[in-house]
Amino acid sequence: MTASFVHAFHGEWLKRKRSFASTLVVGGSLFTPAIIIAVRLLHHRGLAPIYAKPGFWQELWRSSWESMAIFFLPLAAILATSLIVQIEFKGNAWKQVHALPVSAAVIFLAKLAVILIVMAKFLLLFNAGVFLAGIVPYGLVRGVPKPAGTFFDLPLVRENALYFVDALPIVAAQYLMALRSPNVLVPIGAGFMAWVAALASISSGYAIWWPYAYTTIHYLQDKPKGAHLAAFTQLHWLAAATFVALTAIGYVLFVTKKEKG
Amino acid sequence: MTAHCLETHGLTHRFGDHKVLSGIDMQVPAGSIYGFLGPNGAGKTTTLRLILGLLATQEGEIRIFGRPLAHDRIAILRNVGSMIESPSLYDHLTAAENLRVLQLVHRCPESRIREVLDLVGLADTGRKRARQFSLGMKQRLAIAGALLHRPSLVILDEPTNGLDPHGIIEIRNLLVELNRRDGCTILVSSHLLSEIERVATHVGILGRGQLLFQGTIEELRRHRQEVLSIRVTTSDNGEAMRAIATDGVSAQLVDGEIVLSALTRERIAAINRKLNAQHLDVYEIRSVRNDLETIFLNLVRE
Repeated sequence: MTASFVHAFHGEWLKRKRSFASTLVVGGSLFTPAIIIAVRLLHHRGLAPIYAKPGFWQELWRSSWESMAIFFLPLAAILATSLIVQIEFKGNAWKQVHALPVSAAVIFLAKLAVILIVMAKFLLLFNAGVFLAGIVPYGLVRGVPKPAGTFFDLPLVRENALYFVDALPIVAAQYLMALRSPNVLVPIGAGFMAWVAALASISSGYAIWWPYAYTTIHYLQDKPKGAHLAAFTQLHWLAAATFVALTAIGYVLFVTKKEKG
Repeated sequence: MTAHCLETHGLTHRFGDHKVLSGIDMQVPAGSIYGFLGPNGAGKTTTLRLILGLLATQEGEIRIFGRPLAHDRIAILRNVGSMIESPSLYDHLTAAENLRVLQLVHRCPESRIREVLDLVGLADTGRKRARQFSLGMKQRLAIAGALLHRPSLVILDEPTNGLDPHGIIEIRNLLVELNRRDGCTILVSSHLLSEIERVATHVGILGRGQLLFQGTIEELRRHRQEVLSIRVTTSDNGEAMRAIATDGVSAQLVDGEIVLSALTRERIAAINRKLNAQHLDVYEIRSVRNDLETIFLNLVRE
């Protein structure tokens, strides 16, 4: 089983090469840092006071995560998951996949593992982008002071891990839908609607029951405008549990499908 | 290995209330090239999908290499290569990358990728992606994928669909070579008898969800004699039919010709003498031996 999974995973990883999902991950993860760099270079005269602040890296980290947590991370989960599954439908390849000597569990888990690693890569690239957003203007603009502290003083591992967990329910829900929809517009459309519903639900007390809202809740929890969300202390556990439940449902639907491919 | 590489017993399948396969007892001898024939919609692809486990078996049993598919599916599939309907390819990958995906799962030597690409004539495609391939190239790449792990049984569903005559000949030669050189059993479906009769050692003919004929290609050819008919053309076919009928021979008028069922040479000569005696001019008497195509059509139309 393990060897079978490793080889299937390797094959799945190869399929994602040069795919639209891969391009999207790189573009989406670096978009916010690229905008920050561009804006700071354009307004370079006002950079010195920003870089002189003692909490420079914390401020940069927080502002970068705003668009990431609310917009890019949920959309990356929606698009990457749907597009990676779509590779099989587009290539008319499900029948080939199911005729290979591997179990349905291995097929299901190998593809899911690829999606999770792509999401991890998305966060990793974003982190690298934020780092560059901090140091590139400092290196290019004369007279900008060296920021206090370093990027690596930030709670990188903890914050990335928690945001990753918060995005997992979206991945599981999208995976479930994408495996059943030959038309990629179905999971993407449904995902977009679910994300819009999540944004609409944030102001209410019901947002916690909407898995597409978890990354946004996480970001807003310690902000003044998200005070009403601070009570959701078990958010990450709930996200993990929702991911497990949706993945289990997706798996059962996948293996019990009467016609494969 | 058992004498039959693949066997189905009472294979029956329904889509809703519609029965598409009814009690299929298929026997594919080991080492044969088994032509699986039938018109479009006869149930060929459904049968092949059942054999690969792509459809859940509702009724009946499938045994491959003597083992039940229901219990040993993964072990069986290690020795089966397949191509069902249109090629399954990842358009954004090259030919070698497409095969690499399969090679990783089959865990066969990486050198096999080059070998099968050579075999199907795609070794020079380099960095060209599959989306830039012609239909024939895609078809050949999919066949290469089916052969990659040196399977004992290769299942190909209409492998020459969309190919030009040259491509059809290439695929045909490839199948014969594989069968002779590696001794692998090949189950190849088609709706064209002309395509199958050139390569197959055995034939199964499917029509309306039933296996109408199964046997060697020679057995199918022997059907020629059984369906022999005689055609007669005279100066007055109506009068001639009445004369023939008095001898107890059933005759039909088809397209301006009198069609008689199979007769001995002596009876044909006697009918000729009788027509002459009645002053009817006999323009033509010929025996019609049905070719394989006609036998096939008769079987599936009956």
